[in-house]
Amino acid sequence: MKPASFEYLRPESVAEAVATLDLYGGTARILAGGQSLVPMLGMRLMRPGAVIDINGLGEELGRIEARGSETTIGALVRYSEAETSPVIAERLPLLGTAIRHIGDRQVRNRGTLGGAIAQSDPTGEVALVALTLGATVLVTGPGGERELAADGFFVGSYANTLGPEEMITGVRFGVVPSRSAFFERGRKHNDFAVLSLAVVATPESDGTWHDVRIGMGGMNDTPVLARAAAERLEGARWDEAALAEAATLALRDADPPEDVRASAEYRAHLLPIHLGRLLAGLAKEPRHG
Amino acid sequence: MDELIEITVTVNGTVHREQVSPRMHVADFLRRGLGLTGTHVGCEQGVCGMCTILLDGDAVKSCLMLAPQLDGREVRTVESLAEGGELAPVQRAFKEAHGLQCGFCTPGFLMTATALKESGRSLDREEIRDELSGVICRCTGYEGIVNAVDRVLNGDAVGVEDER
Repeated sequence: MKPASFEYLRPESVAEAVATLDLYGGTARILAGGQSLVPMLGMRLMRPGAVIDINGLGEELGRIEARGSETTIGALVRYSEAETSPVIAERLPLLGTAIRHIGDRQVRNRGTLGGAIAQSDPTGEVALVALTLGATVLVTGPGGERELAADGFFVGSYANTLGPEEMITGVRFGVVPSRSAFFERGRKHNDFAVLSLAVVATPESDGTWHDVRIGMGGMNDTPVLARAAAERLEGARWDEAALAEAATLALRDADPPEDVRASAEYRAHLLPIHLGRLLAGLAKEPRHG
Repeated sequence: MDELIEITVTVNGTVHREQVSPRMHVADFLRRGLGLTGTHVGCEQGVCGMCTILLDGDAVKSCLMLAPQLDGREVRTVESLAEGGELAPVQRAFKEAHGLQCGFCTPGFLMTATALKESGRSLDREEIRDELSGVICRCTGYEGIVNAVDRVLNGDAVGVEDER
């Protein structure tokens, strides 16, 4: 479990980090929290020419900013900080809840939100929340800054549309629906998820629900939206029949993988059961206003 | 050979200036570089939690950090707990509540519990289990460990302080 040799570099700005990425022509990796990268180095699943440690860039990358209707979280914000942030609790409660399912205390003390998005684990909680809430990934490269919709950013297992000489600087969220719920099932406590689910929606006073979005983790090569299920529930009253139909429709957007944690069949078995329960729980919550 | 990097790090109150290889992880640095073998290495992939230390007061897994990342930081290991041959309250609680058997995982639990105690948070047993879930013990079944941490955080009728 010892990494192969690499250059260790500590840039003093995002600009310098990006210039270094460019210099190494795609063979360098960014080290943020290191909770995925360091084990991958140790197992020699990766042998980068250089490791670019951005932990000194807290000024540029370590902030949680609420501006108007938007909330921007710097790439270097650690899970533990997000977990206790009043801004996130108030504006992005789904994210606050999901983060508690990540790793364990030690991992959450080091791991970063930007790192989670860059890692693009198909069971990753931050990726799932970013997709479900329609977030924007903020990226800087040698050509300048880019903004990429989370919907479309994740293109495969541990794969995304980030260029090899680009780095993530943050993630931005807009206004989110008023209600949210999160569920995760793993083989053991806070292990990688076998199935994770995120639901957001806004109930109206006439009993119908709007802005419905349902995200699924562990059910495909990437986190995916359960579009058919969300369409069934959009503008509808969430009675028992509607919820049962939606829970089954979610399977249309799922193509569950087979791996050491669960069979595809088991994942497909879990999905409608747990989505049905999650939606029913959300529908039952008291509607104050 | 790897190019060595100079770091200045405070470990258990002592300032060290050392040359480290970038691909050495912090647990190896503490054990081999500084001879602090109280930090145990189990899985070296961030799963078992044996190697938990405090980095600027936060519990972290020292196998998941590279030694050069310690530059300018403050580290505490299990060796920092006992003073003058006297066990710290968290160590006494583990001893009295049967929080260890073989003891291999104990440094990881002690440092995780120390960070919890210092956070000043009041936790119920369920929350304690959640906070401790990053360290694995194959002997105790965890009950004694949770009892020990419960005593440290919340006191006890036959409290650790009282028995002393």
